[in-house]
Amino acid sequence: MFARLVKESFVRNPRRKLLTAAALVVGMAVTTATLTIALEVGDRLAREFRSLGANLLVTPESDTLPVEIGGVDYRAVDEGAYLKEADLGKLKTIFWRHNILGFTPFLDVPARIIPSTRSNTEFVTVIGTWYEHGVPVPDGTTFKTGVSVTHPWWRIQGRWFDDRTDECVVGDVLARSYPGGITSGQIINVEPFRAEPGGLSRGWPLKVTGILSAGGAEDKAVIVPLSVAQKISGHAGEFRQLFVSALTKPADALAERGERAQYDKNIQLTPTEYDRWFCSPYISSISYQIKTVLPGTDVHAIRRVAETEGRVLDRVGTLLWIVTLAALVAAALAVAATSATTVLERQAEIGVMKALGASNALVNGIFLAEQVLLAIIGGVIGFIAGTALARILGTSVFGSPASPRLILLPIVLALAAIVAIAGSLLPLRRAAHFEPALILRGG
Amino acid sequence: MMFWRLVFQLLRGSRGRLAVAILAIVSGAAVISALLNLDLGMQNKLTEEFRSLGANIVIAPPNAPQSPDVGSAAPVLYDEDVLDIGIQSVRSPNVVASAPYLYIIGRAAGTPVVIVGTWLDELRKFEPTWQLDGSWISSREDNGRCLVGRNVAQRLHLKLGRSLELAYADRNFELSVAGIVDAGGADDNQIFVNLPVAQKLAAKEGAISVWQLSVSGTPGNLSDYTTRLAGVLSQEEVRPIRQVTEAEGSLLGRIQFLIVSMVVLILILTTLCVLGTIAALAMERRKDVGLMKSLGGSISRIMGLFLAEVGVLGAVGGLIGAILGVTLSYWMGLRVFGAAISPRWEIFPVTILLMIVVAMAGALPLRTLGDVKPAVILRGE
Repeated sequence: MFARLVKESFVRNPRRKLLTAAALVVGMAVTTATLTIALEVGDRLAREFRSLGANLLVTPESDTLPVEIGGVDYRAVDEGAYLKEADLGKLKTIFWRHNILGFTPFLDVPARIIPSTRSNTEFVTVIGTWYEHGVPVPDGTTFKTGVSVTHPWWRIQGRWFDDRTDECVVGDVLARSYPGGITSGQIINVEPFRAEPGGLSRGWPLKVTGILSAGGAEDKAVIVPLSVAQKISGHAGEFRQLFVSALTKPADALAERGERAQYDKNIQLTPTEYDRWFCSPYISSISYQIKTVLPGTDVHAIRRVAETEGRVLDRVGTLLWIVTLAALVAAALAVAATSATTVLERQAEIGVMKALGASNALVNGIFLAEQVLLAIIGGVIGFIAGTALARILGTSVFGSPASPRLILLPIVLALAAIVAIAGSLLPLRRAAHFEPALILRGG
Repeated sequence: MMFWRLVFQLLRGSRGRLAVAILAIVSGAAVISALLNLDLGMQNKLTEEFRSLGANIVIAPPNAPQSPDVGSAAPVLYDEDVLDIGIQSVRSPNVVASAPYLYIIGRAAGTPVVIVGTWLDELRKFEPTWQLDGSWISSREDNGRCLVGRNVAQRLHLKLGRSLELAYADRNFELSVAGIVDAGGADDNQIFVNLPVAQKLAAKEGAISVWQLSVSGTPGNLSDYTTRLAGVLSQEEVRPIRQVTEAEGSLLGRIQFLIVSMVVLILILTTLCVLGTIAALAMERRKDVGLMKSLGGSISRIMGLFLAEVGVLGAVGGLIGAILGVTLSYWMGLRVFGAAISPRWEIFPVTILLMIVVAMAGALPLRTLGDVKPAVILRGE
């Protein structure tokens, strides 16, 4: 009988329910969209932050002091320690290997360009690195990485060098300032610079394939494939510095404790804490894991990048949750307000029911059941619309759609039901106090 | 007179239903103004956050030669004073830090090391993320103390307060270590001294290698400032550090776009909510309309009355809501950015106007009653 009453009440006069249903659909759509985006924005933004380039720097542990100005190492090639290129594949075997988006080794060689016709020479730094290099990973796969991943702001006019050939790209400042200029297609001769004059005087002919604009000290250098720099410097299979770009999670108290526990004996992590630290993509745990696979290295977070990233991610995350909360409030308001007006509009109906002997409980029951039914239908439609909205929003902001989260469906439905019930409770209580006769008369 | 008395009576007459409408308007206005204020204040705060990335504009000579000689100065350009005057002449409130840098490759305890001469009091503003053991040097005239990088300290076994001898050619300087810097990068291998110390070591008075600036603001502000600076310093190359500016620009753009689109969604939702409530209120007034019509009131006058009523509602609700919302965003600013977001006054008229317009738009369905016979309405159809 109750079900029939509810059904009758629900099916008849659908125009009246339209307002509540519309409010529910729009409200829940906005809620679903904002929640979906808020759940994903951390990961997405962290990935975007990688446009800042590397956030970890790996150097040899027992190195002499690098004499480095603006990213170019001025040390002679026979000074200081080196790292082995062959070990690099191991980076993709650590626990957080999928968070290692890319890494690039660097080998700087002080050199000079021997002009073919002029007698004056120009000192330059020859930087050996990878553009897009396939690194063999111990599990049998190859991982493509290089400055294309870790230094995305580098721009090239012409094309990048081929990793296996004697080619190079020249920084734009050097290309402009070099007597006579350097253009693509030209062959330049470079010779490693030795502290004592009159050393080896053999030039390496390199074909210029492009002009690099990096916005840093690299603009005054000659960039060559790592293998070429190794040949020029006589350090086969070695490099000086490794830049690693890793997806990380903003540091919190545990991350800091984990980092300090490595050198501070007074701080001990409990086994559970250690597991949690090790299995979270903190920058400190990733650098710890890199250090384990590359023994004899110092792994350091590039603070400027890592901390800015952490702070901005934190801020934006909180901001988004506030906006999501605002969306929830707005949705609740819209639904509650419209539910309230539907109940108010139907006071006459309530009067008839009560005049025919319906108890307050029955009236409330019928109305609430109706609201819940509305909430479920509106919630489902709203969820579908909101997921579509999140897809569009995700595509336009981050270039790829936000994935739908089914977990949100029950949450959204429950929310819709609560809000719809809450919105009708107050007017229903007021309706309960009315005399049926008064209402029916139209007062 | 009569008109406003009627409006007042109308407002007083149906307090219960008005309460719902007022509540909707106030909360709607609060949500809208809070989000607008937060959104307008957010960009400034975020660009300030990005300043922990360090310098983003560099002034360098267009064609600096390089020389890797240990014991010689790295590219040295021109006069410190000329640049200083040039930079001072382009004023901008967005400049967070600005300082000259002179890089020389000298020796510390016999080891070749990069010595950076700069204004040490500005260094802290450039590099808020550096972890410092010891204390910052807060005066650019302090020629007796220096900061050393972590690796330098480790390699040379330096402790805080110890003295350190810096040598360059046949000149040397004795400095005490005030702090040890952990930067995670090349800075860990350098020694930071005040500019005069480096200049005296190199015997190049007034010489600097580069001038660096850390400038906050939107990408637009930044390129505007760079252009103005380049106009004054036509001899020099003024260029943004692309690693920082590009990433910052794209990230700020995405974050801003994301927040704005979510705010717009909420704006639409809130507007709809207010609209719906007012429309429901209007439909309840059918009886009043019928009564007035039967008493000889013209429909335009009746509409005028009702529009005035909801207009007052919108204005009052909008004002209360805007005050609430701006207070809310002030508090949210404290929570999110640790700094209050100051209220934007333009938000008040915008919010109030929006609420009035929406409320009046909600009243429009009443117009359709103009054609209806009063008797039909009064009978209660």
